[in-house]
Amino acid sequence: MAAGSEVYVLGGYQTDFARNWTKENKHFSALMRESVRSALEACEIAPEEIESAHVGNFAAELYCMQGHLGAFFTEVDPAFSGLPTGRHEAACASGSIALLAASAEIEAGRYDLQAVVGIEQMKTVSADVGGSYLGTAAWYELEAEGVEFPFPKLFGRLGDEYDKRYGLKDEYLAEISKINYANAKLNPNAQTRTWYMNKEHALCRTDDNPAVGGRIRIADCSQVTDGAVTLFLASRDYAEKWAKGTGRKLSEIPRIKGWGHNTARLKFADKVAESANDQYVLPHVRSTITSAMERAGIEGVGGIDGIETHDCFTTSEYMAIDHFGITAPGESWKAVEEGWLEIDGKHPINPSGGLIGAGHPVGATGCRQVLDAHLQVTGQAGAYQVEGAKNFQTLNIGGSGTTSVSFVVGVD
Amino acid sequence: MRQILASRRIERVVVLGANGTMGFGSAALFTMAVPEVTFLARTKEKADEGLAAAIKQVRSPTVATHSKTGDYENDLVSAVTDADLVFEALTEDFAIKKDILDKVEAARRDDSIVATVTSGLSINSLCEGRSDSFRKNFLGLHFFNPPNVIVGTELVAGDDTDPDVVDFVDAFSQLRLGREMVRTFDTPAFAGNRVGFKVMNECAQLAGEIGPLLADKLVGPYTGRAMTPLATVDLVGWDIHRAIVDNVYENTNDEAHETNKLPDFMAKLMEKGVLGNKSGGGFFKKDGKTRLVLDPTTGDYTPDSDIELPELGYIDEVAALHRDGRYREGMQVFLAAEGEHAKIARGVIAGYIAYAFNRVGEVTESIDGIDRIMGMGFNAAPPSVLVDTIGARGVVEMIGEAGLGVPPVLAEAAKTGEPERFFNHARINIGRFFVAG
Repeated sequence: MAAGSEVYVLGGYQTDFARNWTKENKHFSALMRESVRSALEACEIAPEEIESAHVGNFAAELYCMQGHLGAFFTEVDPAFSGLPTGRHEAACASGSIALLAASAEIEAGRYDLQAVVGIEQMKTVSADVGGSYLGTAAWYELEAEGVEFPFPKLFGRLGDEYDKRYGLKDEYLAEISKINYANAKLNPNAQTRTWYMNKEHALCRTDDNPAVGGRIRIADCSQVTDGAVTLFLASRDYAEKWAKGTGRKLSEIPRIKGWGHNTARLKFADKVAESANDQYVLPHVRSTITSAMERAGIEGVGGIDGIETHDCFTTSEYMAIDHFGITAPGESWKAVEEGWLEIDGKHPINPSGGLIGAGHPVGATGCRQVLDAHLQVTGQAGAYQVEGAKNFQTLNIGGSGTTSVSFVVGVD
Repeated sequence: MRQILASRRIERVVVLGANGTMGFGSAALFTMAVPEVTFLARTKEKADEGLAAAIKQVRSPTVATHSKTGDYENDLVSAVTDADLVFEALTEDFAIKKDILDKVEAARRDDSIVATVTSGLSINSLCEGRSDSFRKNFLGLHFFNPPNVIVGTELVAGDDTDPDVVDFVDAFSQLRLGREMVRTFDTPAFAGNRVGFKVMNECAQLAGEIGPLLADKLVGPYTGRAMTPLATVDLVGWDIHRAIVDNVYENTNDEAHETNKLPDFMAKLMEKGVLGNKSGGGFFKKDGKTRLVLDPTTGDYTPDSDIELPELGYIDEVAALHRDGRYREGMQVFLAAEGEHAKIARGVIAGYIAYAFNRVGEVTESIDGIDRIMGMGFNAAPPSVLVDTIGARGVVEMIGEAGLGVPPVLAEAAKTGEPERFFNHARINIGRFFVAG
């Protein structure tokens, strides 16, 4: 990133992912309003200061019969009327794509302060209808139409591919699930913080943990979640002014030090065919991770204090372990076995609980990961704090490893 | 906190009274955090029933892999001797609890922790006359029902409880059991039930005057609660409700004493077997798809559709604002609503806020403890959240309108605007408390 074009992450706000907004009889507008207004309060920013807004969302048209979400932002406060706003969609990576767009505008010098909202309300429909909606993140007609719960099946195939190339034991996937659920207990906004889980349950092969897609069982899955996350990104000029006004040091405000972004072919079979001779199962995901590190001037995962990765299923976290370089390709099991992934381990992954433990409101996840990275590097993560963290990296994936985005968020 | 957690180990837990709702629910929770939990009851069959209920409650057969079962006569001594934590969850009867704690005291190691899940009996009385090591290691750990769902938990130290033990149980409960811990003083019904049941009982008294349907409508979700007060009394059970309010009424004498007096109609109907949902009905009951409403004077039930309610348009207006996430604006409409019924509703909410603030120093050290247990134990808007949402001046107006004394801290806030905010938990969503129902 060129000098003078730093993008600062001032902070933000996450709604409680355990909430069911339909049961509260709340409209989508309440989810947006609560997230944005609470973020403004938390960051001590007046609405008049916001210059532009980006909304990340996957499928409000399907779940809520509501489109034109950039315009919804203007409903939050009279001061927002007339602001330039827009909506971004890249399936489960929608939130990160909104962040990329906002940060690019800051780098280009167009605006000094941007609001980015990741948002999804999913508990409006039954599980099977919701599963079908999620299928539109794949090539629907070829991979999802008429398939019950298409995505667990696609990510089951990711596990199968690992099994074929390197071998994969389900006990490692169960341990990943266990860690995410345990971490979620420490996160006051995690969806599963009261849920019952242990490794035996994750390995349980009864109706209490039914198979939903090949080797993927309920305990391997992320959640259906209502939630929104608002973040504020700022230029150096604004960050300096804000730091002064709120009694902070500029050096304590995290920056987006690096980013990566790749889009692979849509169909899972095509991705796997492309990587047949590659040591990484999803090489474009690997490229996203390493390019974010390179832009941040970080040589490898040893320079990263913790990771918030996209564990839409345990297999995707298993994939992330070697793709981040924590182990050699195909040896992710070693990191699980050595206990490296725990909060106080060598390479903590998902101290928040991740998508499995904290929840996965599709369009909000990328923003939630960056907010958690911000909390970690500012020492505000509470019970799930990784001690002394300076650099955190995210990995947000849309579709079956299709769109991938990674950010390195850190302080000096 | 992680250091405190690492200061000792809990490998074995014994749950006494493991066939009761609180017993098996708590035991299930412990199986998630420790290698071995022993379910004990009067008979092994009862303990087995508790284990089966625990499995059903958390929907995991793996509860059994961490569990043993047994009875008091044959298994208590060996299980308690091995235990790092003994958790007492017998019925809320002082003599019964005292008797089992005698047995625990005889069998326990000096370093084991003994906790009781009592919802209101005195911790100091339960350990009175016992050994130094027992008193140092004894405390109240009050989970709310069902423990696997409701995270709000009260931690009650006795006069002699070792502060390190209190800190450890606090850390263990937060980090390993995912609890929201609130430390309370050893007073009748502690903090949550003292404040929460006062509101529910006041609504029960109100039901005697204006009927349950209207009472529950007036103090409904729009006022900041997930479940209406009288539906909650039915769910909890009239017998439990009575035990709690009677305990408070008999053992305290505060400014709202009479609001804790069980209405006569409830006592009379209880004699006829009315106990709420567990007896098939209370203030409300179901007849197929029809919801029936109790007539407190006759004990008869009428379909809710046959009951004419007064015009309550303001409630719809508040709910519509809540639906859009405009909670402050919604509560301003509540504050300004005209008519006797809005005034009654404001009176109950004003009474709740004033009562809570007046209990600071008596049941908890600060309002924060009452706030968190009301939010995380009762799923109701904490008093401070209501003050922040309505505004201190508005709340003082409401308290004055209800003819109640204004807590000095609120009078000061209304006058000076300080503190600007009473509820200071940035990561707890206040919007979740205002249901648009």
